[in-house]
Amino acid sequence: MEVIKYAIRKLVGGIPLILGVTFVSFLLMVYFGPDLTFEMLGKNPTPEQIAEVRKELGYDRPFLVRYAEYLKELATLDFGLSDSSGESVSAMLTRSIPISLALVTPGFILGNLLGVLLALVAAYHRSGWIDKAIMGFSVVGMSISFLIVIIAFQILLSSSYGLNLFPVRGWNVHSLYDYVMYVTVPTLASVFVALGYNTRFYRAVIVEEMTRDHVRTARAFGIRPGKLLYKHILKNAAIPIITRIMFSIPLVIVSGSLLIESYFGIPGVGKVTFDAITTGDQPVLKAVVGLTAVLFVITLLVTDILYRAVDPRVSLK
Amino acid sequence: MDGAPSTIDPVQASNVYANAVVLNAYDTLYRFKYLARPYEITENLAVGMPEISVDGLVYRIRIKEGVHFIDDPVFDGGKGREVVAEDFVYSIKRHFDTAQRPRGAWLWQGRIIGLDGWKEAGSDYNEQVEGLRAIDRHTIEIRLIKPYPQLIYTLAQGYASIVPREAVETYGREFGSRPVGSGPFRVTSYDSARIVYEKNTKFRQEPVDIWAEGYDPVTQAHIGVEAIQGRSPPFIERLEIHFIAENAARWNSFTKDNEIQYLTVPNEQYDNILASKDPIVAKPEISEKYHLRHSVESGFVFINFNMNFPEFGYNDDPERARRNKVLRCAVIKGFDWARRNESFYFGLGRVFPGIITPAVPEFDPELSEESVKLDIDGAKKLLADNGWNEDTIPEMVYGTTAGVNQRMFYEQFRGFMKKIGYPPDKVVLKQYATFGDFIKDTSNSRLPIVAKGWTLDYPDAENTLQLFYGPNGSPGSNDANYNNPEYDRLYEQSAIMLPSPERTEIYRRMNQMVIDDCIAIAGLSRTRIYLWHKNVIAMPDREIVSGFYIRFVDIVAGAD
Repeated sequence: MEVIKYAIRKLVGGIPLILGVTFVSFLLMVYFGPDLTFEMLGKNPTPEQIAEVRKELGYDRPFLVRYAEYLKELATLDFGLSDSSGESVSAMLTRSIPISLALVTPGFILGNLLGVLLALVAAYHRSGWIDKAIMGFSVVGMSISFLIVIIAFQILLSSSYGLNLFPVRGWNVHSLYDYVMYVTVPTLASVFVALGYNTRFYRAVIVEEMTRDHVRTARAFGIRPGKLLYKHILKNAAIPIITRIMFSIPLVIVSGSLLIESYFGIPGVGKVTFDAITTGDQPVLKAVVGLTAVLFVITLLVTDILYRAVDPRVSLK
Repeated sequence: MDGAPSTIDPVQASNVYANAVVLNAYDTLYRFKYLARPYEITENLAVGMPEISVDGLVYRIRIKEGVHFIDDPVFDGGKGREVVAEDFVYSIKRHFDTAQRPRGAWLWQGRIIGLDGWKEAGSDYNEQVEGLRAIDRHTIEIRLIKPYPQLIYTLAQGYASIVPREAVETYGREFGSRPVGSGPFRVTSYDSARIVYEKNTKFRQEPVDIWAEGYDPVTQAHIGVEAIQGRSPPFIERLEIHFIAENAARWNSFTKDNEIQYLTVPNEQYDNILASKDPIVAKPEISEKYHLRHSVESGFVFINFNMNFPEFGYNDDPERARRNKVLRCAVIKGFDWARRNESFYFGLGRVFPGIITPAVPEFDPELSEESVKLDIDGAKKLLADNGWNEDTIPEMVYGTTAGVNQRMFYEQFRGFMKKIGYPPDKVVLKQYATFGDFIKDTSNSRLPIVAKGWTLDYPDAENTLQLFYGPNGSPGSNDANYNNPEYDRLYEQSAIMLPSPERTEIYRRMNQMVIDDCIAIAGLSRTRIYLWHKNVIAMPDREIVSGFYIRFVDIVAGAD
């Protein structure tokens, strides 16, 4: 009961956040975003035709009226039709979000799991050569542009100039085998980059935890390293780890992975979002921004509940 | 393809990508011959060429009987019904209905009797248009306000694709992603990464006569098109067009050998594939695995001065107007086309004077190339003799979309200007996040110079000459805002003339006016190189309205 009450309180408290995010982003879209008018026009348009297109796109209506409509769309989850393709925005997201999830989930899980494992190992061997090697690898992962990593992995693993093991691009998935073939290279590329950031962050958290009195005491009692790391360090470091993982989820779900999707020709939500940004497709952008804000509120709620689950000292009040 | 269409609704088929996909799902009355170069028009859904009245104002076009739309739930019993003349009438009317978000009205605006009035009266599809009628089930009649020799070309555009009214009305704007046509293929899936078609098994049986399609055994025998002689297209069961903007990804996919089978070669790969640039010859390892074709594009790249800017163009002060012209001429003299060609087009582009491109029959190969020759001393002298110096030269804002190549174009331009004494700090870059924002500013006449590329809509120099026709000024395509009464008079005179030596002469006079008035730094037609796998029988193309060739593509028997 306490959890339900807390959830309701938290969701109601999230409304101002959603309003703020949607208002600012809509303001930016309307006044600073791309203007579709001239892309929608044919050659040699007359001023009347320009006015007609602006009207058709809704650009001629007052900002607040448009914003109110946006909120209504968000409340009903009906974002209308894409200004570019004419396709239902809901259908576009319904089609592309599962693809993005299927694409990024393995990398997301592996990137975090391996990140925690490597961080534990590095922290345990703090200042030793193992720690330095892992941190060196992390810095490499962080330093190389994601685009370069993608191209390098694509050439090395997929192209005729490399091992030629996987498809260069596309998403023609009809079986588990297809899935493994199409997801492997993007996953390896994203894990390579994510590991750098994750390992450094988690190591810092774990090292801090290792300096606590109870860890020193546990060591003095001769607790085995595995048990020490898992029970006395990792569990106590769970809150920042959960925070980092949870707050990545909305972006993973709604924004997908733009570079990976573009470069590997995968029709996920990242590509849909990117196309909407560059073309000024406001119905799609409104949906993505609004849903991301809502997901963040939900994530805040779930994260708080998880805090309580891993640390009973945390009160939901 | 190196880009993607935003929709596959024919009313929005505004670029080569959209045309390529639309023309494979829909029928047009006419099309361009598969193999003939220069381009020649031929019948498609129409029966023969149109009957044209002596005064050139009335066109009668018969369409083929027994042609059906693909099966779709919008039809009774889900069976595609016959394509009739009224479908064509409806399809053109859509361009005059704002709710359809059309982009092709410019092709027929002010041309067909009653069509503009039909729009003004509210675009009621139940109302007849005097000049656009189905006079029986299979005959179309078009009545023009004045002769329009390019009309037949417009009927080969993706914009003129024939759609069934019931599908448009049922699907609304989602029709843009649910095509219902009568073309050689039917779309089975479409998203931002690719479109997949399968063969339209109901497509009419019309055996190919490669000779009638313009087959030239001297230049085309090596691609194997003889194999399709006498057979009815389409030949392939399944067609996938992948939209791959990233050059490296496109190239890797092509060379992998089991993914995409055709591409327009990215410029940065020219060095890797060519053994010789003049003549263009592929390296042995390339010619062993792939077919190669090259052609000069139909369009061109050029830079306009915006004559609306008193600092460069028209000015109320006659003396300043004269000096502005000198300034423009000096900039043109200082522009190094050879360097531009070498730096960005691997030296394979074709530089030519003026705005009539080498791809059209009206091109004049004898025209003086003075306007595209680098003459730094001449430019400096012009500036010095007319009082232009570091202090008096006006600031020039160079607008472009954000991107590495675009930035390099600007830097090179600034370098050219520096050589003639134009202070580098007065050549200012203005970058736009999106192409739409750039177009918005050029359409609203907010940039003093406009660097652009133009793809020909049809093989007639009128298509580029209209870029400098006064009434087409901003927000129209004359973003130079050139306003020369004599030019406009000649344009109007030639606009109603059929192709003839007299019309060509007028076109060339207009071209010379643009050169003499120093309105544009023009121009260069890029050479495109196409590669395709040896197991593919095709002559790929992406010029004019790309896409018609795909129905003729075949795969060598026994190949995957």
